[in-house]
Amino acid sequence: MTLCHHPADEVLVSYAVGALESGFGLVVGAHVGACTQCRVKVGALEEVSGGSLSDLPDASLGAGALQRTMARLGRVPAPAAIDRRPLLERLPLRPRRWVAPGVWVAAVDTPHSRDNRVYVLSAKPGMSTARHRHSGAEFCTVLKGAYRDEVGLFRAGDFAAAEHDLEHLPVVLPGEECVCLFATEGRLKPRGLMGRIAFALADV
Amino acid sequence: MNSRAETTDDDLLIRIAGGDREAFALLFAKFAPKVKSYLLRLGAPGAVAEDLAQDAMVSLWRRAASFDPKKAKASTWVYVIARNAWIDRLRREKVQLAYRDLTDMSEASGEEAPDAAVAREQEETRIAAALENLPDEQRQVVRLAFFEDRPHSEIAERLSLPLGTVKSRMRLALAKLKVQWEQYR
Repeated sequence: MTLCHHPADEVLVSYAVGALESGFGLVVGAHVGACTQCRVKVGALEEVSGGSLSDLPDASLGAGALQRTMARLGRVPAPAAIDRRPLLERLPLRPRRWVAPGVWVAAVDTPHSRDNRVYVLSAKPGMSTARHRHSGAEFCTVLKGAYRDEVGLFRAGDFAAAEHDLEHLPVVLPGEECVCLFATEGRLKPRGLMGRIAFALADV
Repeated sequence: MNSRAETTDDDLLIRIAGGDREAFALLFAKFAPKVKSYLLRLGAPGAVAEDLAQDAMVSLWRRAASFDPKKAKASTWVYVIARNAWIDRLRREKVQLAYRDLTDMSEASGEEAPDAAVAREQEETRIAAALENLPDEQRQVVRLAFFEDRPHSEIAERLSLPLGTVKSRMRLALAKLKVQWEQYR
């Protein structure tokens, strides 16, 4: 798939070396899964990481580590079944909460930091969401549908990173609901009464 | 040629796929201490790094059948397993989600449509090309992440790419890596 909005290279580097926080890594992973171009970059970075792994000094293992590990092996290698369902179906979501007509949110059950929010938000076609300002970093990957804001058009698979100083008004395109996966640092600061109520109710 | 001395990691993985426990012990001796070392550098407490290194090696045993030396280096393959074991454990093993699954890297599934298989081959060729053209500074940052005892926040800061505010955002996102481990302990 040819996508228009990608994570910055340094985000991909952090992702490849395993250094992103779980919620943020999840959102980047959702994009990488959908984007050949970024998968190719990450693949190259993983090769460098593999070489680095081989060059690391050995850490000493506990006594009997090999024996304990061997005891856990099956007789022949038997790989686990591959889950090929779409990401949205594989995400461990908490129950949906309707926060406005046509809008629901559901927290993603990951052990992310308490200060962060990791959640899926769905808004109905044509919906204009609350204008809001960001108080911290936010990563977002569109899982379904599309929205447009002051930055551009974001379709399924596209990645958006918001700055703390970004204030925007995303509008869902007509035809299909728009479902996005978010990792957000700190709280959003919605403008206007409707927005404040929605975000307070959501409490994700 | 002395074939005994020439036993490569690739050979070991292929033998492991056939259920060879001796080959597993050899690969374990080589990689388990590296994997633990990597996990310690990511900030894992010692006991967690030890457990996860063992988990990663068990996972390697289970997935060995999908290793294809034509498509991936053994070291890359072991690395992705180790990284994913860490990430999966952080998620309390609920589901494998964020990080590229190994199946994307080396495993052609029987269910896969022919055009998907072609696309995968093209992707592998492109990865090889991307590796050759990888900017030095990105290579350097990967090495820094592995070899410097510095928080990733500082490493992100060192990335003096002209990306302006993206940098400050990354610093924030990376700085909490420690917090994650603290709640896991």
